[in-house]
Amino acid sequence: MSSRWGWAAVAFVTAALFLLPIVWMVGTSFKPAIEYVSTSVDLFPGAPTLAHYRTLLDDGILGKVLNSLIVAVGSTGLALAAGFPAAYALARLRLPARLDIVFLLFVLLIKLSPPIVLAIPLYQVLRTFGLLDTLAGLVFVYQVYSLPFAIWMLLGFVRDVPLAYEEAAMVDGAGLGRRLATVVLPIMLPGLISTAVFLMILSWNEFLYALLFIQTPSKFTLPTYIATLITEDETFWGKLAAIGFLASLPILAVVGVVQRGLTRGFAGGLK
Amino acid sequence: MHNPSRSVPFVLLTPALLLFAALTLYPLARGILLSFFVTDYGFAGARFIGLENYADLLGDRFFQRASWNTVAFTLLATAGEVGLGLMLALMVNRRFPGRWIVIPSLVAPFVLSTMVVTAIWRAWFHFDFGFLNNLLRAAALPPVEWLFDPNIALLSIVLVDVWQTTPLTFLILLAGLQAIPLEVYEAARLDGASPRRMFLDMILPLLMPHIFLAALLRSIDSFKIFDKVYALTGGGPGNATETLSMYVYRLGFRFFDIGLASAAAVVMIVIAGALAAVYAARIIKGADHV
Repeated sequence: MSSRWGWAAVAFVTAALFLLPIVWMVGTSFKPAIEYVSTSVDLFPGAPTLAHYRTLLDDGILGKVLNSLIVAVGSTGLALAAGFPAAYALARLRLPARLDIVFLLFVLLIKLSPPIVLAIPLYQVLRTFGLLDTLAGLVFVYQVYSLPFAIWMLLGFVRDVPLAYEEAAMVDGAGLGRRLATVVLPIMLPGLISTAVFLMILSWNEFLYALLFIQTPSKFTLPTYIATLITEDETFWGKLAAIGFLASLPILAVVGVVQRGLTRGFAGGLK
Repeated sequence: MHNPSRSVPFVLLTPALLLFAALTLYPLARGILLSFFVTDYGFAGARFIGLENYADLLGDRFFQRASWNTVAFTLLATAGEVGLGLMLALMVNRRFPGRWIVIPSLVAPFVLSTMVVTAIWRAWFHFDFGFLNNLLRAAALPPVEWLFDPNIALLSIVLVDVWQTTPLTFLILLAGLQAIPLEVYEAARLDGASPRRMFLDMILPLLMPHIFLAALLRSIDSFKIFDKVYALTGGGPGNATETLSMYVYRLGFRFFDIGLASAAAVVMIVIAGALAAVYAARIIKGADHV
């Protein structure tokens, strides 16, 4: 019994160390500048203040949140809309000449290759279509990663839908469209939701393409806005901590989903 | 399965194929082609020079340094993350009170946006008022130039990466540990094996596929590193922390040497492709067993 408590103590200290930077961030977001531009190691504010949050509102932070949301919802919607039919076709229908394998290997290569390698030609593509410096342009370029991710994850969920259910619907005369809508989609809804959560996080956190393809500050997403604050070489830590805390809240709220999905999505290839 | 019509699969694949064609295949082909030209933007006014960009690249000491930095970063970060992830997984893989709150606490850093993570650590690394140096001073130790000492800066970025992404290796290895049948532990206990022998002789071999997967996924991802370098050091001091992604960015989007930057990008694709091939082989092999 006592060894269990000793073990728990070690685990709690380790967990606390992992959480320390996050606790520091939350604490600093409520500290007046004089408390963090100092040599103190206090994590919590002595004289709590909401000043940094007020400054953020005055700086138009809500606009950046809205930009991030638009891009996240748009790119997630597009990736699911294009990715689900593709995943279904790859999982269930017969393609000639092992095209499914070729397609999946290509998807994998893109999913694993560094985003910078496509940046220069993508810049030129966006410019050709007049999508440079637009949120719609970001929704499209995020498909470079969102779509492979969606196909890869949905593929597993489609395979989990028992074939017998679909065959029963076929016997009842249901066509492909009706089977998808009334059998496949409802059964894989939990999988669809966790895929959507992952896609939203992917887009919410994306930095490189947002940095390269958006120039107008009013169109910045949260990561690019944070980057401009970080690289200004000033100690805006209260403001940075506040914005970091706000940007993390929606994601920390779904950490459970992430934890379950991670072991599935990434370790899924290993059975 | 059933085969209603030959065209149905292609109809279903069309939206994805169109997006791939416009956003991946075409840019990929264009990027490879650009690497054989001298150009500051597109093909208008570009001059074909064959493999000259590649020759220039190999002789460029900035490219050599960026390659070395990327390799060093990838190896250090992957080793740190797999090692620490394994320790955490072993720690959590048993019953103790409060386990339900320890696991999400260990996962939390991974879900934060990289830019938020970077903001925190840039403040922590500050020489005069950063949290880390404040701790060192409180312990009567000399403060460290975390980001401006060329010998330390890369290690500081590794530290941030380890904090942020160890949760992933931890979860993969924990899943691996939990997949080991209880009988294995029972048998070892009956044999009177010491915990150390049990770990080395029985657990570790069974865990190897998961360790390999975690290391592979982390090296593929570490190889891409851009965000943290961009916002923590900008590649400096000098070019002590410039990675390949930063190098392509600087050449392509700061100096507009599109040909040379494209050649560097092609080199990166080849390396990423080799890593992806290992991963693909792993998956195909895994599928054969099922």
